Amino acid sequence: MFDGIVFASFSEFVQMGRYGFHVWSVYALFTIFIIANLLVPHLQRKQFIREQKSRALRDGQINGTASSSSAAPGESV
Amino acid sequence: MWLWFSKLGSPKWFYDLSGKWLPWLVAFMVVTMTVGLLWALLFVPEDYQQSFTNRIFYVHVPVASISLAVFPLMAIAGAITLVWKMKLADMVAKCAAPIGVWFTGVALATGAIWGEPMWGTWWVWDARLTSMLLQFFLLIGVVALRSAIESPDAAARACALLSIVGAINVPIIKYSVEWWNTLHQPSTPLTMDSNSANGPEIWVPLLIMIAAVYCFFVISLILSTRNEILQRERRSQWVMDIIASERV
Amino acid sequence: MSEQSMTVQRSSVARQQAQVSTFAAFRATLRRDLLIALKRRNDLLNPLMFFLIVVSLFPLGVSSDPNELTRIAAGTVWVSALLASMLSLDNLFRADYEDGSLEQLLLSPQPLYFMVLAKNISHWLISGLPVVLLSPLLAYMLYLPADAYWTLLFTLLLGTPVLSLFGSIGVALTVGLGSRGLILAVIVLPLTMPVLIIGAKAVADVSLGLPLGMHYALLGAILAMSLSLAPLASAAALKISVN
Repeated sequence: MFDGIVFASFSEFVQMGRYGFHVWSVYALFTIFIIANLLVPHLQRKQFIREQKSRALRDGQINGTASSSSAAPGESV
Repeated sequence: MWLWFSKLGSPKWFYDLSGKWLPWLVAFMVVTMTVGLLWALLFVPEDYQQSFTNRIFYVHVPVASISLAVFPLMAIAGAITLVWKMKLADMVAKCAAPIGVWFTGVALATGAIWGEPMWGTWWVWDARLTSMLLQFFLLIGVVALRSAIESPDAAARACALLSIVGAINVPIIKYSVEWWNTLHQPSTPLTMDSNSANGPEIWVPLLIMIAAVYCFFVISLILSTRNEILQRERRSQWVMDIIASERV
Repeated sequence: MSEQSMTVQRSSVARQQAQVSTFAAFRATLRRDLLIALKRRNDLLNPLMFFLIVVSLFPLGVSSDPNELTRIAAGTVWVSALLASMLSLDNLFRADYEDGSLEQLLLSPQPLYFMVLAKNISHWLISGLPVVLLSPLLAYMLYLPADAYWTLLFTLLLGTPVLSLFGSIGVALTVGLGSRGLILAVIVLPLTMPVLIIGAKAVADVSLGLPLGMHYALLGAILAMSLSLAPLASAAALKISVN
């Protein structure tokens, strides 16, 4: 099954037998695709938690209580 | 069974369980993706017809095959939403739609990049490409409907219905497009699986890549579903506890 | 027709008649919609005018060469019929939604399937049928070969009801939205592609002398399927949108 690496040199690997542009653009797109789809939810989560924290803090100050659960009634949709 | 079902419907249960699964899934994805990519790029022999463009398949085929699973998934989730009014099913359906747009778009783009050297053109109105394009439009329709309806509950049920109608239509579109195309272009040298001798050195890395991309799909679906759960349940105590305990 | 559907009667209806059969309600809805459309001439004329204008854009935009037009004639007529049907969809449930009669329809004891079907049929009679009847004239102007006229007419006759039926699902889903605009087209157009493909191909194939049994069979199958299923989906969508 394995015949070893099919490329003799690194430059051959990059060139992909004159299809380098096509092959590497597909793999670049794939990489962007994966990173974007994992990173975006991660950042959204961070953002959401930051927002909720500051909101809880703000509402806590207004209500004069420190507990985070008091944020619930003061929250607007 | 029913106890299990109602537990499954609870967002908190899903959140906790998926939190336990995520590290394993990520580990599995990293391993299979690394092995699959290195194998595909370095070890797969050159195709006598397609030269090294066969490397494109190891991205294109997994992405395309998973994009075909998105509509059935959304339709099943939609049916569960409509029948049992399970909130979790709708959250999954809502998150699956944009991911499906991504997968279909990437499948189309990678197919086009493969087609350019092989067919001499970026785009052909080939049956498979056309039905993929129409599926892309259908998915965009679901996403657009979701963002157009303000009430989350109405949006959930409307999108569930549209997903079911779309899922019924996908095979009809597929067959009509195939029928349309095969009679129009008598002989197409354009079929993708024309590489004759498919030894294990070709398909084993392909299977590994399919597993890796499937895993990636599940991970990204879980990640955005978890966000959706936090968003919708933000007033319940358990989400507040999570927010309070998390450091940003 | 069906007996069990009449057990519950709303008081406002009860005064007029003790029991209204499904068929009577179906006929009444159809009649009402047709009468309204006849009163508002615009609803009747606009889809037709739109169809004419879109068709005449093609010779201007593509080419006035008869050979070229012959080739694109079938597709042009079909695409224009599709767009005309799309444009006229908005008045399928809109006015009823705004004046509240749609809610009455949803509350009525008759099965919603038949009520929606009646509305779809009246929509097709108003916007689809005139387009079908006008199509030979436009086909002539586009130099369609003479032997393809009947094929065009018959495929449109089988295909345009499907456009109304599928479109009705989209309208029902978006009827409550403030700004529906293009979303209706984005939802509905992909669903109608199979009909477009088969219809346009039938007309193209008859010019090549190919047999057409398969085309009619497929169109008929799609029509039968959408007649039985699409009103159900529309009814469910209306219930979602109106609440």
